[in-house]
Amino acid sequence: MDAFSALMGGFSNALQPSTLMWGFVGCFLGTLVGVLPGIGPALTIALLLPLTYQVPATGMFVMFAGIYYGAAYGGSTTSILVRTPGEAGSMMTALEGFQMARSGRAGPALATAAIGSFIAGTIGTLALTFFAPLVVDVALTFGPAEYFSLMVLSLVAVTAVLGQSLIRGLLALSLGLLLGMVGIDLQTGQARFTFGHQPWLLDGIAMTTAIVGIFAVGEAAYMAWQGRESKGSDVLKVTGSVMLSKADWKRSWKPWLRGAFYGFPIGAMPAGGSDVPTLLSYYTEKKLSKHPEEFGKGAIEGVAGPEAANNAAAAGVLMPLLTLGIPTSATAAVMLSAFQGYGIQTGPGLFSSNSTLVWTLIASLYIGNVILLVLNLPLVGMWVKLLKIPAPWLWAGIIVVSTLGVYGVSNSLYDVGLLYVFGLLGYLMRRFGFPAPPLIVGLILAPMAEQSMRQALTISMGDWSTFVTRPISASLLSVAVLMMVAPRLYRLWRKAD
Amino acid sequence: MTPLRVGAIFALLCTIAFWQLGDIGQSAIGMAVGPAAIPKAVVALFALITGVYIVSAWRGHQVDESHEPEQSALPGAGLRLVSMFAGGMLFIGGVTWMGFVAPATACGMCVARAFDAPFNAKSAVICTCISTALWVLFAKVLGVGLGPATPFGF
Repeated sequence: MDAFSALMGGFSNALQPSTLMWGFVGCFLGTLVGVLPGIGPALTIALLLPLTYQVPATGMFVMFAGIYYGAAYGGSTTSILVRTPGEAGSMMTALEGFQMARSGRAGPALATAAIGSFIAGTIGTLALTFFAPLVVDVALTFGPAEYFSLMVLSLVAVTAVLGQSLIRGLLALSLGLLLGMVGIDLQTGQARFTFGHQPWLLDGIAMTTAIVGIFAVGEAAYMAWQGRESKGSDVLKVTGSVMLSKADWKRSWKPWLRGAFYGFPIGAMPAGGSDVPTLLSYYTEKKLSKHPEEFGKGAIEGVAGPEAANNAAAAGVLMPLLTLGIPTSATAAVMLSAFQGYGIQTGPGLFSSNSTLVWTLIASLYIGNVILLVLNLPLVGMWVKLLKIPAPWLWAGIIVVSTLGVYGVSNSLYDVGLLYVFGLLGYLMRRFGFPAPPLIVGLILAPMAEQSMRQALTISMGDWSTFVTRPISASLLSVAVLMMVAPRLYRLWRKAD
Repeated sequence: MTPLRVGAIFALLCTIAFWQLGDIGQSAIGMAVGPAAIPKAVVALFALITGVYIVSAWRGHQVDESHEPEQSALPGAGLRLVSMFAGGMLFIGGVTWMGFVAPATACGMCVARAFDAPFNAKSAVICTCISTALWVLFAKVLGVGLGPATPFGF
């Protein structure tokens, strides 16, 4: 079955009323969390994980995809009207969009962000549709050794690229790996790091507890500690029509396309994320613009390009998740955990074992883009009102939902206690500059990487050289080593110059 | 709290991890890599990087956001932080014998207090509304097992 006919099958499922409803709920929630500063898609999906036991898998993943895309859309509203990026990929929009809003052009800024997001999101989804089966074909040739090396590459990439310090990134990663080993070893049945077989540790540390603790309780604790959140921020009014003039269209369409072509491939790389393509897009537009003097004062290209790159990157992140079962961001890690909650084996086999689910999910991304365009522009006034919810009640709601979410999964008070321990850890990490994604990705990949490594060694009769004598595995490990070493060597070389 | 103290916390975690390594039993099945091998490698990596972090913090190369002008905490930071975590402890202490709503309300009020909302009737009413609405949505509509809303059932 080729990609096009599989996609058509996906559309026939995604357009079922119940699936459509979950897609709409996801887009709505996603926009809501994108608008509210401090809450990201990873946290929202983690909070909704308890629902995974009540709702059919297809509906749930369609909703998660809606949340993921919606958050990328919603972030632009906050960036433009408050200058507070709802998520990292909206930083450049905050810079340029806020200046447009201050000069009375909030409407066109919001419009170019929304239309650019729609176009780039659709281009990204098209690329996902037609490239994903090709990646799956390659991945099907992978053995345990290649999988282990691929996971090492992902872990190194997430650590080396994210954050400002390699030491802090590695420390977060090794803590995540350590926490991922807590519980029963699946191959031998031996308990590890369980303090004398404590029953609440035998199943390992629940992903939901760790993610919600670090992202929700940790973030709330940091905000509360600072004490600035309750002082509120000024929200600019939406002035100017939310339609683009002919001149605005002319200045926006090329940045949209360029942004999409930066966003998807970089988003699909391990730890590519949305920060790098949005930055690249912004500086490219600044360089190519006929009005470079407007940059920093409200240039529409500075909103159009980065917003497009941000949304295309969101589609790119789904590529390694769906084809290889490798999460390259915290949100993807949470989605992987949801797949595991349903007992669905991720990786290249997903496209054959659960092809209906995968293609419905991809089809729903196209539909979600249309829903988001409709939700974002006409309802901008409603989203702006959300920014006026007082911080105490907003955070009280978030923490009660977080506690409820963790308690609802297991009814275990140990898990609720662990939630607050992770919250404290999240606060310390935030305050002392430790990136959270390496810890989360380490936690989820540790057992998978260990299993692949042990399988590879069993096949090779204990010969460790299997990882460097198999060409793909050796190449992946070489790239991982390069990622760690190259930036340092480059810095030394420049110093010596 | 300083980066050096954070390093000390990591060192303590390393010590606990080393102690726990000794408790991992040997597998009865002959395997190329036993159940303790990878944990040993990870703990060694963790210890090594902790050491590097401590040295770096000692030399003053590690950051504390509270020293940044836009990021520093306003007065009363410690009390706000305590209030935040007290909310979680109240929930844990109360949920088994008071039902869901009352401890969740107390938790919400403590969190609101951490964001400078006073402990008063308005806060109690808003947090009761939040926790009741969430209980109805999750427990009644979506079937998530949260136990009864009050000690009297419901």
